[in-house]
Amino acid sequence: MQVLFKIVRQQANSAPQFQTYKLEVDPGNTVLDCLNRIKWEQDGSLAFRKNCRNTICGSCGMRINGRSALACKESIRHEVARLQQITDANTSVSHDGGIPTITIAPMGNMPVIKDLIVDMTSFWDNLKAVDPYVSTEARQVPEREFLQTPEERDRLNQTGNCILCGACYSECNARDVDPTFVGPHALAKAYRMVADSRDSKTEERLEDYSQGTKGVWGCTRCYYCNEVCPMDVAPMDQIGKIKQEILDRQTEQTSRPVRHRKVLIDLVKQGGWIDERRFGLRVVGNSFRDINGIVSLGPLGLRMLARGKFPFSFEPSAGTAQVRSLIERVQTAELDTPPQS
Amino acid sequence: MTLKYAYFPGCVAQGACRELYQSTNALTQALGIELVELKKASCCGSGTFKEDSQLLEDTVNARNIALAESLDLPLLTHCSTCQGVIGHVDERLKAAQANNPAYLEEVNGFLKQEGCSPYKGSTTVKHLLWALVGDYGLANVQQRVTHKLAGLKCAAFYGCYLLRAQDQIPFDDPHSPESMENVFRAIGATPVYYRGRTQCCGWPLSSYATTQSFQMAGRHIQEAIALEADCMVTPCPLCHLNLDSRQPEVETVIGQKLGLPVLHLSQLVALALGVQPKELGLDRHIVSTRPVLEKLGL
Repeated sequence: MQVLFKIVRQQANSAPQFQTYKLEVDPGNTVLDCLNRIKWEQDGSLAFRKNCRNTICGSCGMRINGRSALACKESIRHEVARLQQITDANTSVSHDGGIPTITIAPMGNMPVIKDLIVDMTSFWDNLKAVDPYVSTEARQVPEREFLQTPEERDRLNQTGNCILCGACYSECNARDVDPTFVGPHALAKAYRMVADSRDSKTEERLEDYSQGTKGVWGCTRCYYCNEVCPMDVAPMDQIGKIKQEILDRQTEQTSRPVRHRKVLIDLVKQGGWIDERRFGLRVVGNSFRDINGIVSLGPLGLRMLARGKFPFSFEPSAGTAQVRSLIERVQTAELDTPPQS
Repeated sequence: MTLKYAYFPGCVAQGACRELYQSTNALTQALGIELVELKKASCCGSGTFKEDSQLLEDTVNARNIALAESLDLPLLTHCSTCQGVIGHVDERLKAAQANNPAYLEEVNGFLKQEGCSPYKGSTTVKHLLWALVGDYGLANVQQRVTHKLAGLKCAAFYGCYLLRAQDQIPFDDPHSPESMENVFRAIGATPVYYRGRTQCCGWPLSSYATTQSFQMAGRHIQEAIALEADCMVTPCPLCHLNLDSRQPEVETVIGQKLGLPVLHLSQLVALALGVQPKELGLDRHIVSTRPVLEKLGL
């Protein structure tokens, strides 16, 4: 079949341009097979990273038809079918059966060096920032290797699958606005360390990962990392597990992100639904302890009053007592048998 | 046949976005859809329960879903976040029925102790957007349009949880959705496609990292304005809070005046069905919706 490849061409610090190449391909070809053929047969100047061709090395991350993926993993058949579904879903587009066009662009959140090659320096630096090694202090036990039970080892499988391709980092909405946030790849690795029974720095790590927005509280839960990860590492879920460990250890007074989580559960216990007025006062205003917080809510409150939007009343759910009791029962059961994270 | 749903209103539509509660009622009445409100339901946790404990999120929402199951009706949400959270719990518990019955037993054990109906996995959880597209049908919506929104340029803002929280979503590719845009076309409006329409509004960070949160919202609004959108339209009241209620603070953070009206999906569709703006709470937005109404001659 014939396929058009519309590829972003770009030199560092210059404006990107599209260049289109036409290829006769087999539907079973991967996008990487096709890029190789373009480079070898049509245009040797096209630049992209590649190595293993088999979803192992993580080199060929790029944006294929609007989302970050591995060129060696996505087949032409799959991409063309996906494009067809998107076109079919649009009620205004006529389906003329023209030559399908696969669009390829460099990954996001990293500067372009050339064409599809991005500078991944910040990606690697952020990985280093979470201290991604099992603590060596734990290696002082002299007589034998560190043993783990199969269950303890199994806890590392999902995060261990990460091949550091950069797809999650490329789509991360928090990275887009926060240069201090280390990113989903680093925090998935951070959870791999927290979950490792051989590591002796758990408490130090949790303290570090809960600082400001560089760690877990910088995640805005956009779900992009989970969506694009080619290895099902589900970075956002791993970030959530670090948060669980932190919430088990810290109190409402430790920080506003922790207060946000604890107050939310408390308010659901009190009203079934969340009384947003009290949520603001307790989380941002820290129940009148944080004067700056209270002041920061002022303009919002006044605007809402002025526009008739301020909720003057709150009606608890008719099921509040049942929900409260249910939440308490789950919480008590979990205290008795802490979940295996 | 009349469509009938077990309606899960959520927290925000009963609090800071009551205009959504009002307009979903008005819209469903105008379409002849019957809603049975789940008065005993509770907050889904907005993704935060799970950060405390997966079991907590699953148990509380198993109860919510079981309330709809008792009525033998699909559960209807009108919030992307409620949909993503409850919809994903439903997926996980249905999978547990096959792969991990002990877990479902644990969840149902808690429900039983509190006298709640057990989770059976016998219903579906769907957003109002999906109900319009899949159950009611956009052709049928189109037939009921009395005020075509001709010339109105609408920029959809989907909300992360509607697109990416569930393993499977109906109709849409999570990276290139069309449902909202198809609704716009059905009621005579013109969709505006822009990068930010599938991205995060920044709300989850807004209580403690306002700069990052408002920068996120600001970029999307700027893009929509650059493409000459008359308004944003969202199926998520949490997105609405960051995009509309906080828009003056967003303007301060990005250093640019914006003033882009943000409508709830229910409001936009109801306008096309001839419901009066006042009945839809369009006068109770932080960013005035008057430019939209003027453009429509209302």
